[in-house]
Amino acid sequence: MSDAAQVVLAPPPRAGVAGRRLTRVLEIVVALAVVVGLWQVTSITINNSTLLPSPARVFHAWLDLLHADLRQDVLASLAHLGIGYALGIATGLALAAISTRFALLESIVDPLIELLRPISAIAWIPIAILMFGISAGVPVFLIFYASLFPIFVNTVAGVKQVDAKLVHAAQMLGASRRMILTHVVMPAALPYVLAGARLSLGVAWMAMVAAELTGSDAGLGWRLFWYQEFFAMDKVMAVILTIGVLGYCFDTLLRALQARITRWSPDSVVDEAR
Amino acid sequence: MTGKIDAQSLSKTYVSARSGERVEALQNVSFSVAPHEFVSIVGPSGCGKSTLLALVAGFVAPTSGRVLADGAPITGPDPRRGVMFQDYALFPWRTVLGNVEFGPLARGATREAMRATAHRYIELVGLEGFEHRYPHELSGGMRQRCALARLLANEPEVWLMDEPLAAVDLQTRNILQDELLRLWGDGGDPGQRRAVLFVTHGIDEAVYLSDRVIVLGRRPGRIKETVTIDLPRPRKALRNSAEAGRYNEYIWNLIRDEAARAIVEESA
Repeated sequence: MSDAAQVVLAPPPRAGVAGRRLTRVLEIVVALAVVVGLWQVTSITINNSTLLPSPARVFHAWLDLLHADLRQDVLASLAHLGIGYALGIATGLALAAISTRFALLESIVDPLIELLRPISAIAWIPIAILMFGISAGVPVFLIFYASLFPIFVNTVAGVKQVDAKLVHAAQMLGASRRMILTHVVMPAALPYVLAGARLSLGVAWMAMVAAELTGSDAGLGWRLFWYQEFFAMDKVMAVILTIGVLGYCFDTLLRALQARITRWSPDSVVDEAR
Repeated sequence: MTGKIDAQSLSKTYVSARSGERVEALQNVSFSVAPHEFVSIVGPSGCGKSTLLALVAGFVAPTSGRVLADGAPITGPDPRRGVMFQDYALFPWRTVLGNVEFGPLARGATREAMRATAHRYIELVGLEGFEHRYPHELSGGMRQRCALARLLANEPEVWLMDEPLAAVDLQTRNILQDELLRLWGDGGDPGQRRAVLFVTHGIDEAVYLSDRVIVLGRRPGRIKETVTIDLPRPRKALRNSAEAGRYNEYIWNLIRDEAARAIVEESA
């Protein structure tokens, strides 16, 4: 009986942080090995290196690119992303702030957002090209457009879900309206805002590649188009892989930031523990 | 008219936003709490006891009637009337220390004064060593201690408590009841005690803690009877006494039929 009680009282068994990291790394290695293996088999079967180059060829192409154009392509894409994403997040937050603050503005902003939201950023490429020409303006505009919606929708939801009890608690402790905004509403909405920022970055990254592919004269997407013109499929694949890896890195970075900032939230702990 | 809190002919009717249905939560409720008095409100579920507390706190306005604090009508929440909530309502992004500091911070205390006050009350409720824990890292009893320290740190003149011990287990509840009495000044000078309005569904809890127990009936909530608990203080030795038992039984007989009906209606 006393044994049973002890079992219940003991903390739940869990792998240490190091153990969990190791498991995660192993999972990724296995997943990569499976993909590369399938790719190898398929490329041998097709036996046409223009159509589907082998993993080894693509890796060599990637090493070549590292010493050639890749760095400046990445920098150009990051510049597009940085400007467009910053504008999108700032605008989304500002719109969310005014539409949660003023009911009248919400009734104007909300239907507009809901009308535009289903329109894919890509659909705006023809107009963006007419407006900006083949230039950085096209990807910046598309990234701005794509990142606007998730951050807006999440921030509004985050502000609306703030527990009235917490506002009451702050009021009875003597907090002013301003303090309730800065010390209750904003921290309570923060996990939603961060989740929105992460979603925004995901769609922004995709819009970036699409926009550069057709409407830009620099960046990773543009480089895909460039190598395709030369039938350099190994280099196209190398750029695609770069896009994938960079996107994954950004998401991991934001996820870590999210867990760190909201470590007070029981949910974020669950997320960390997976 | 001379109470710390005077409720005069309070009525509150809620109108459902969706169906337009009107629910009368309270009907013509009048009572007062004297400056150093511990008053509890008991009643079956649906009797409007939490509504009553929200009216005194100033979170909602009455449909008719009014509440006075020190003779002045209540127009909204005020730090002189501290509230303890059933589900703690701690700020989850602030540590124990941060939660307890919130009141002094809101009232413009200096950093040093804020910290000193918070540490004093954290120690008083027995949470020293847990200052840097977040609420989700605490047990229910510890969360309620934190909520109590947060309330006390503002040194309010009135303590409004909305079923503060309903969410903790029985042993913890007994311990916290004794702690509450100690902090209120059960064994000390009556002049040092604060006015308390304590909402609970536990009759024995109300009898054990209070000077007077207001018994509410339900649908609509109205006062059935006010019972003066004529037991000496400190109460600690009287928890399971025959005298306390008689009060428990008396109050239970007042609300038993309605409590039974409440169960049937709520499961319907």
